[in-house]
Amino acid sequence: MSRKLTVILLAMLVLVGAMSLKTVVTTHANGTVTVLAVGGAPVPTPWQVGGAPVPTPWK
Amino acid sequence: MLGPTDWVIWILATIFEAAVVVCSLRRQAFRRYFFLNLFMLLTVLVSLGRFRVLMHYGRSSIEYRYFYFYSDALLVILLYFALISLYSRVFEEMRVERYVRFGAVLLLGGTAWFSYAVVSQSSSRMLTHFAFELSQNLYFVGLVLTYALWGAILKLRETRALLVQLVLSLGVYFSAYAASYAISNLHPDLFSHMVYLFPIIGCLLPLAWAYAIWRVPEEARLAPSRLAVIPR
Repeated sequence: MSRKLTVILLAMLVLVGAMSLKTVVTTHANGTVTVLAVGGAPVPTPWQVGGAPVPTPWK
Repeated sequence: MLGPTDWVIWILATIFEAAVVVCSLRRQAFRRYFFLNLFMLLTVLVSLGRFRVLMHYGRSSIEYRYFYFYSDALLVILLYFALISLYSRVFEEMRVERYVRFGAVLLLGGTAWFSYAVVSQSSSRMLTHFAFELSQNLYFVGLVLTYALWGAILKLRETRALLVQLVLSLGVYFSAYAASYAISNLHPDLFSHMVYLFPIIGCLLPLAWAYAIWRVPEEARLAPSRLAVIPR
């Protein structure tokens, strides 16, 4: 197998692994939106709620 | 309104981010770790921009929300390239930079395609949703890539102390984010207690990088036995 095909296979494996991990992590979410973000700036208000379910983002 | 804790965390994070760039310049490592420094420099600028938008429009405004999530998408893409630059450093002796770059672009494209496929199902504001979904997905891609890089470091018995510390800091950062993300999804009632956790984690990465760049000389080496014991 050529090196390029190996790289393609590895990239796809990483993508599948990452998205599977995200799916596992968010499977039990009950509508609360958690945001991962860079830096220490406060997350915009609509995302910071308690246990109450929030509407679909941006709708 | 922001409370004093919000302000303290935000100011500390911005100071630590600026400290990474200053330490790199003082240690003449700016060009060596160009993407790491570019990411930190842009994070400082984005923090200043967010401060201006927040003061002008308020935290619950649509302007702050747009600025926050679009700038975050940009920062995460830069963080992704910073991580790829660490890959290039680890594999530089194997002369596979071309393949690392090819894989990085392919993976970024794949993540973008996946994000588009998700948001195209149910979104009217396509671009906004796409930017948000892409940034969230890239965090998980970054997490997997960091663990893969750590595996490569162990396998190749990498001994450059600074490089190892930078990668480990990134691993702790992504792991802490993923764990907090999982906990807040599994136990939404805990979310109100974890509201400061994400910004605090955001402070720790620049602090660890600034410390590593300032304290660990480029020529410092770790004893291989400290990394792993591999029976022959």
